[in-house]
Amino acid sequence: MKRMAAAALAGALVVAIAPFVLDGYTANVLVRSLLFGVLALSVDLLWGFTGFLTFGQSAFFGVGAYAYALTATQLGVDGFLLPVSLLLGLLAPAVLALLQGWLSFYHRATPLYASVVSLVVPAVVTQVLYSGGTFTGSSSGLTGYDMPDLSVPQWLWLCGGLLVLLTAAAAVFVRSDAGRLLVALRDNEMRCAFLGIPTTRLRIGLLIAMAAVAGLAGWLYAAYSGVVAPELAGFDLGTQAVIWVALGGRGTLVGPVLGAIGIDLTSAYLSGSLPFLWRLLVGLAFILVIVLLPQGLFPAIGRLILHRRRAAPVAPPALVPAATATARARGEALAVSDVARHFGALPVLSGVSLRAAAGELLSLVGPNGAGKTTLIRCLSDGTERSGGTVHILGQRLGSLPPHRCVALGLGRKFQTANVFDSLTVAECLRIARATIDRPSPWRRAGTLALPDAAMEVVQATGLDRLLGEEARLLAHGQKQALELAMVLALDPALVLLDEPTAGLTRSERLQIGGILRRLAQDHGMCLLLVEHDLDFVREISTRMVVLHQGRMVLDGTVEEVAASDLVRTIYAGEPH
Amino acid sequence: MTLVLDIVTTAAILFAVSAGLLVVFGVMKIINFAHGAFITLGAYAGLLVTQAGLSPWLGLPLAFIAGAACGAVVERIVVRPLYTRALDAILATWGLGIIIGQLLTLGFGREVQFVQSPITGTLTVFGEAYSAYRLFLVLAALAVGGGFALLLEGTRLGLNTRAVIMNEDLARGLGIDSVRVRFITFALGSGLAGLAGALITPLSSVDPAMGVPWLLNAFMLVIVSGASLLTLALATLLLGGAQVLVSTLVSPILGGLTIVVLAAIVLRLRPAGFAR
Amino acid sequence: MNRTLLAAVAAMALAAVPAFAADPIAIGIPVGLSGANSVVAPSVVQAAELAVDEINAAGGVLGRKLVLDVADDGSGAVGAQRAFDSLIYQKKVNVLISMETSAARNAGLPAVNRSRTPYIYTSFYEGHSCSPNMYVDAWVPEQQVPPIVDDFMAQYHAKKFFLIGSDYAFGRGMLGFTRHYIEKKGGRIVGEEYLAMDGTDWTPILSKLRSSGADALITSTAGGAPNVTLTKQLRAAGINLPYGNLAVDEGTAKSMGKDATGIFISASYVTGINSPENKAFLAAMAKKFGADLKTPNDLSVPEYEAVYLYKLAVEKAGSTDPKKVLTELGTVSFKGPRGVIRMNVQHHAPLTMYLGQVQDDGSVKVIRSFSDVDPGAQCPHLK
Repeated sequence: MKRMAAAALAGALVVAIAPFVLDGYTANVLVRSLLFGVLALSVDLLWGFTGFLTFGQSAFFGVGAYAYALTATQLGVDGFLLPVSLLLGLLAPAVLALLQGWLSFYHRATPLYASVVSLVVPAVVTQVLYSGGTFTGSSSGLTGYDMPDLSVPQWLWLCGGLLVLLTAAAAVFVRSDAGRLLVALRDNEMRCAFLGIPTTRLRIGLLIAMAAVAGLAGWLYAAYSGVVAPELAGFDLGTQAVIWVALGGRGTLVGPVLGAIGIDLTSAYLSGSLPFLWRLLVGLAFILVIVLLPQGLFPAIGRLILHRRRAAPVAPPALVPAATATARARGEALAVSDVARHFGALPVLSGVSLRAAAGELLSLVGPNGAGKTTLIRCLSDGTERSGGTVHILGQRLGSLPPHRCVALGLGRKFQTANVFDSLTVAECLRIARATIDRPSPWRRAGTLALPDAAMEVVQATGLDRLLGEEARLLAHGQKQALELAMVLALDPALVLLDEPTAGLTRSERLQIGGILRRLAQDHGMCLLLVEHDLDFVREISTRMVVLHQGRMVLDGTVEEVAASDLVRTIYAGEPH
Repeated sequence: MTLVLDIVTTAAILFAVSAGLLVVFGVMKIINFAHGAFITLGAYAGLLVTQAGLSPWLGLPLAFIAGAACGAVVERIVVRPLYTRALDAILATWGLGIIIGQLLTLGFGREVQFVQSPITGTLTVFGEAYSAYRLFLVLAALAVGGGFALLLEGTRLGLNTRAVIMNEDLARGLGIDSVRVRFITFALGSGLAGLAGALITPLSSVDPAMGVPWLLNAFMLVIVSGASLLTLALATLLLGGAQVLVSTLVSPILGGLTIVVLAAIVLRLRPAGFAR
Repeated sequence: MNRTLLAAVAAMALAAVPAFAADPIAIGIPVGLSGANSVVAPSVVQAAELAVDEINAAGGVLGRKLVLDVADDGSGAVGAQRAFDSLIYQKKVNVLISMETSAARNAGLPAVNRSRTPYIYTSFYEGHSCSPNMYVDAWVPEQQVPPIVDDFMAQYHAKKFFLIGSDYAFGRGMLGFTRHYIEKKGGRIVGEEYLAMDGTDWTPILSKLRSSGADALITSTAGGAPNVTLTKQLRAAGINLPYGNLAVDEGTAKSMGKDATGIFISASYVTGINSPENKAFLAAMAKKFGADLKTPNDLSVPEYEAVYLYKLAVEKAGSTDPKKVLTELGTVSFKGPRGVIRMNVQHHAPLTMYLGQVQDDGSVKVIRSFSDVDPGAQCPHLK
């Protein structure tokens, strides 16, 4: 935090003295470069932090610019008209972002499609501007409108100050608990969804916020330069912004800002003398960075200059027990009726029905390809199944997306240890608690509350001594335990576990078996396990369900099922 | 009637421009953002031929070779390290496009230049005079599509390529050198882009940035089509037709938007696009 | 970076010790080296270079040499802003003299006005662009449109006109004036279509033209490229209506080859002008540039004359002080290849206009000429 404050102060100082040391031309160009720095900041937050490659931030920049130019041309900017124009410059991009977000982010969207849409938006905005005839000035753009009566030094302070402020705010946000959510989204969006986090809403919200930021920069650009043209909203500027971020260093905030300012200033100087060689160099540098140095130049240079790897790690929070257990609906833990799933003409599940109550530990067994994981998917994601009904704690699953299913009281643990690799253990757990304990958008809380079940897992597996460790450095068994703790952090009533013993050592298996049994008996949860290890299953389950070729063929106590001929046939492949 | 011809010829042009990109996308699952630059490269090859005073027809094979050669180099150096990073491949090829554009500018100058059309005059079709060159482009597009279909269905390389498209891991497991297939595919796709560039310039002009507008349209058409040349043909007819209709009936400026907007909507409603 | 800038600033401060007569006068030329105007820009630069050479050989201006500083404005608004900023603030030129698209001119004017740098705009345009710092020595619609329309109506009995233009201030302005003039004269507009400045596909517009039943076509597109693509596609579609092009110059027409035959143009300059000044000018151009010569045209000759007008204004004012020069620019007159040029009608110039038709070999045959055509009231607020 101290380093950040020092950096912000340094930035503010540079901005303050800049008008006195720079010559007129540089100062003139620098104002524009600073606004491009704001644009780069918005791209970094979206791409560097949440992994959304967007070429479309320029569209919002252009819309903000035209908001100023249009209001200035049609209405003027005296008195109250200026704030009205500013409001428009913030709202119009926000509305456009809502539209883009709705189009790009939905339950089954792919990152490629989101990037595709981000390409289309500036193209559309540019064409709309072109088709606006004399209203938007079409190819000529708009000029000659009223501008605020500020001198170049004043503009420099305004735009520079804004840039420093926004960068500092972004840095505070990114380091805060809420900011870690962005990284979680980038690392593993599916895990977020299955922790109840409304990922779509988050992405759209962030896009809207960044659109407003870019729109503000564009608005100021129009007010300062006195000229707007469709190029300001275009594909070219959008990709330029991506280049600035890539070269500067995605995910570093300061890198992209410096990259944007540096490249833009240098272009202005060289545009007379060697414009093509310069663009060639930028293009080359860009490719080299993408292929060889994906982190960007700023971190690399930073490492060289500062001879330090990274800042001292933040002290992890202290674990405390959660206040009260989450209120849950009454009702049977799980009621599945006639669930079916087919892909085209291929049936994977048909006619699956079962009921389970609190305190039961059900094991779902069957040979490979029987449809076990598919069933788990159908129980945790309302949009998966092709037919039948599912009730969790008496509430209909309907066609709810995963994060809403989780809100009903469901937890899902994946087969492969599904955690957030770039985050620490403590951060992972905090993300898991995000829907119950709202993370702060500006600080890191000193305590982390966990319900009893999760606390037990964390303490029993020794994770409480590894809170500051990055998740990707954990051993396989520890990762599995972490994921289980994350799932339990939401105090679910029903937990679906997909092969929880996969890859565990014998002692780890014993430990987890004990934990699961206690979850069912002592904490009253209903557990549904998919397992291959029949011994494990026999030891801890209260009930066994057998799936074969998409159908449920047996449902009974462990003794009944384990001893049955049918199971032997299925597994051994021949009648006895 | 002119409208129908406009639609068919526009679709043909779009097909010629997009076919190369489709082929690369199908095999390598990456979008080659340098495609626009290869189109420009081919156009300049055509320009060289005109400036040298040779027959404009020579421009076509020269453009193909120029594109293919450049593509081969690019694949080796830039694309190969990025096989597993699809979004980064988009960025790297975009950077490449910039570089090629700047090199062309350094070599040829940045002004707009013009190329001789190999066919001039009009043909009378159904009682109306229509540009003969545009009609020729329909034939060219059919030839490209047909040639490719033949390549895919009738040769061993084509068989290997289809295998890689369907399931690369399995294909490699069966001993197919997928790296070689990718290499050849990329070179071929780039060659096609160059050829398309040479084909379209007689209708308009040549300048270092001419490929970019085509890139976006081609890109959307390819994503909507999946991996099949047949669905690409369908997509160019439908979306290209919509573009002509909007341009003619509403406004040419908004018409330029039709393809990208419609494609985005189609993909939202049906992520598989037109593919079966 | 800050340290280098400090050093640079210090160096410049030291170097700013006045050096009097040895100090050259810098003429900034922001022009479309790339983009729509890139076809004609080279000819504009050549015309300026010849003028500068001749003036320097004769002793310069007030004993000082003229130097040129050319910057690319990309034929568009954003590029123009950068070019103007670079010339005015970085290179600190004494005057701007150039031809560019209306989009570029409009984008550069704020910088011109803020810095009070004299600006001579040498391109024909749609009119009514006014600034106390800008003078125009090329034609406006009031001077250029009537000859073509009158001729079409008289010779070809054209009643139904179709208008095509590039979608920006020039295209719309020119065709707007044309529409009013045609309707005033009793004609009818059966179509008016625009395409974006960098658009190259005229297919839908040409289809509309065909189905409109027009007797004549009048176009006003941006610079070089749109002219060429439109004409090419027009001829490829077999359309042979009387075709008046308000925005093409001889050089572009020549590069279009056979496609340009028959196009009507109305211009203040054609290479065939039979005057001693024009003959001397053409000879000098041929001598200086030889095989690299770009055909002088209605966009480049005003540039040549503007450099001379600036020289005369500076000499009359006795210095390069912007205020004094701006006052004198409205009073000096120069006899150039186009005749006597004096920008004394509200910062615009009365001109002799020629109606011509492009021949097979690309040259323009003059059909009729009109002397001293008044530009009308372009800027009533300016003296």
